[in-house]
Amino acid sequence: MASLTTNLATLLLGVLLAATGAGKAFGRQAAGQAAGTVLVRVLNDGRRATRVLRATGAVELVVAAGLLAAPTTVVPGIAAAALGLGFLGYLGYARATAPESSCGCTARSDGPITWRAFVRAGLVVVGGAAAAGARTAWWTQAARHPVASLAFLLVTTAVLAAFSSDLDQLWLVPLRRTRLRILGHPLGAGPDEEVPVAASVELLERSLAWVAAAPVVRSGLIDHWEADGWRFLQFAGVHDPDDTARPVTVLFALDPRATKDTTDRPAVRVTLIDDRTDEPVPVDLLA
Amino acid sequence: MTGRHGIDRRSLLTSAALGGATIVGASALGGLDADAAFAAPMPSLDPAASRSSFIDGRVSQIKGSTLDVVESDGTHRLIQLTNATSIWKLETVTAEAIETGDGLYARGVEMPDGSVAADAVWVNIVNLYVTVRGIERSRLHLSHGRNALVGHIVAKRTTASFRGGALTSNLSQLKIGHHAQVLGAWRPADDSVDIARISVGH
Amino acid sequence: MACGSTSLWAGETSWFCCGSSWGPCGSTGTGACGTCQSGKNMAAWPNLTAACWNVTNPAACGENMPRRGCGSVVNVKHQCSGAAVCVTLADCGPNTQMWCSEQTCCNGSCRTHRVIDLTPAAFSAIGSLSSGLLPVYIYE
Repeated sequence: MASLTTNLATLLLGVLLAATGAGKAFGRQAAGQAAGTVLVRVLNDGRRATRVLRATGAVELVVAAGLLAAPTTVVPGIAAAALGLGFLGYLGYARATAPESSCGCTARSDGPITWRAFVRAGLVVVGGAAAAGARTAWWTQAARHPVASLAFLLVTTAVLAAFSSDLDQLWLVPLRRTRLRILGHPLGAGPDEEVPVAASVELLERSLAWVAAAPVVRSGLIDHWEADGWRFLQFAGVHDPDDTARPVTVLFALDPRATKDTTDRPAVRVTLIDDRTDEPVPVDLLA
Repeated sequence: MTGRHGIDRRSLLTSAALGGATIVGASALGGLDADAAFAAPMPSLDPAASRSSFIDGRVSQIKGSTLDVVESDGTHRLIQLTNATSIWKLETVTAEAIETGDGLYARGVEMPDGSVAADAVWVNIVNLYVTVRGIERSRLHLSHGRNALVGHIVAKRTTASFRGGALTSNLSQLKIGHHAQVLGAWRPADDSVDIARISVGH
Repeated sequence: MACGSTSLWAGETSWFCCGSSWGPCGSTGTGACGTCQSGKNMAAWPNLTAACWNVTNPAACGENMPRRGCGSVVNVKHQCSGAAVCVTLADCGPNTQMWCSEQTCCNGSCRTHRVIDLTPAAFSAIGSLSSGLLPVYIYE
């Protein structure tokens, strides 16, 4: 079992480093990725950080090639372990100096460094050490014990995938894409293409009526309903014409089929209703 | 709280509105001269001075129409809900929908006793940049930063906007790989999100 | 520091959360400046630093807003309602390049491109969080 592990470690680690290295070296998003990392702060330059990221990717590719092509030599394994140690050092430094290095805008590389990243780097060190001890080439090993080798590869790949959401990109997302292509889009247009209330609110908030009533309205949407061909949107507010502030209900009514795609100047009925008397308040909002 | 949502209240408001509403629309006024408005001087404001108060925290206790909310630094604040408070939790809801453990943002007016009379409360609201990683009938697989996130599609609630278009309940243009912004209600129980709207850029 | 009244920029604003709070905001951290809090009147600016500019890349949409660093204060005013809020820059964002050509209008007059992101406290002072986008003028 021990020899199986060490002999196949070269294959596993080689494929893993080839994939991550290619992503760093040739990925179109590398510049954005670099900008979100602590590299930028260390090197004080976004472009240099991108170059360092790409260079790291190139080193990973070289090590991967060594592991795959010359599995029984010691050097590629040691190089991989050294690479893993380097990752661990970088992660430790990044975590210590900028635990929350982030940009509120990108969805990719922001957020604190997770324990999964440390586990991944640790696995590269362990895998590298194991690969250095390989005595038999992985292809010979696989030919000799095909079933055991396949089982080992499946288990370790599953473990690796669990520690890397990045790998979702490699297998899970393409799988889902294929399923959509075969089975069709599950979110087809429904039979009732009713205008959502949110679309009416959106239209209202872009209207002149909203601007005119803005000084009065205090709340968000409180209630909504349809009656007599109108969609009513109810808000709460304070009417303060002569420093006699009184609570009012602000009622807007608009065409339930209208959206900002059909009109940019909707006709809106606006009514202020005194909450204490339930009587409409006569007021010219546009005055 | 039931009174303001009652059918009687609605029909009373409906008849009041249809009787004597001001119609504000296309021909009432010309458009604003936007450029002139931008060039006009602004009165100076101070970042510390604000007329309304704002609370960001988690509901630790609910006593009638008062919410005891704990802010991230551990401070307890009391929020008073009234008939004039709007409450959002995926959609417009009543106070009964708020649960202990919910997160919230509240805007209101500070009372002399230190509590806040809320004008508007947004419960569990989140607004996240995501990438679509999978599409199913009842949910989307999303990635947010390095985290995977499940976004539930809620019938008659979830809407989408594509390239700045109006909100629609038709989500059929959604594709895997789309970068999008999700406005939704976080579910504290399993850390997933009910999607109110998903906006896809260009 | 008080907010000024000189025109700086115009465009759309959205909102984002920062500071350790609840839900997905629990892990967002205090932003590029280390000071960002959802409950304070703060904002993210696409040209906070050179590194930030490389990420947000507003130039892809033809926006070349000037550099303004952590702690700068700007006044953000709703284009139509006139409601305004004075905010302190505390993070890098929004990711302008992802939303080129998107526009938000009020009363027939539109603003394009996401040029600033506000904290929930700041956004709710000039609009509703459940609306998500507002057309704004920015002054300093």
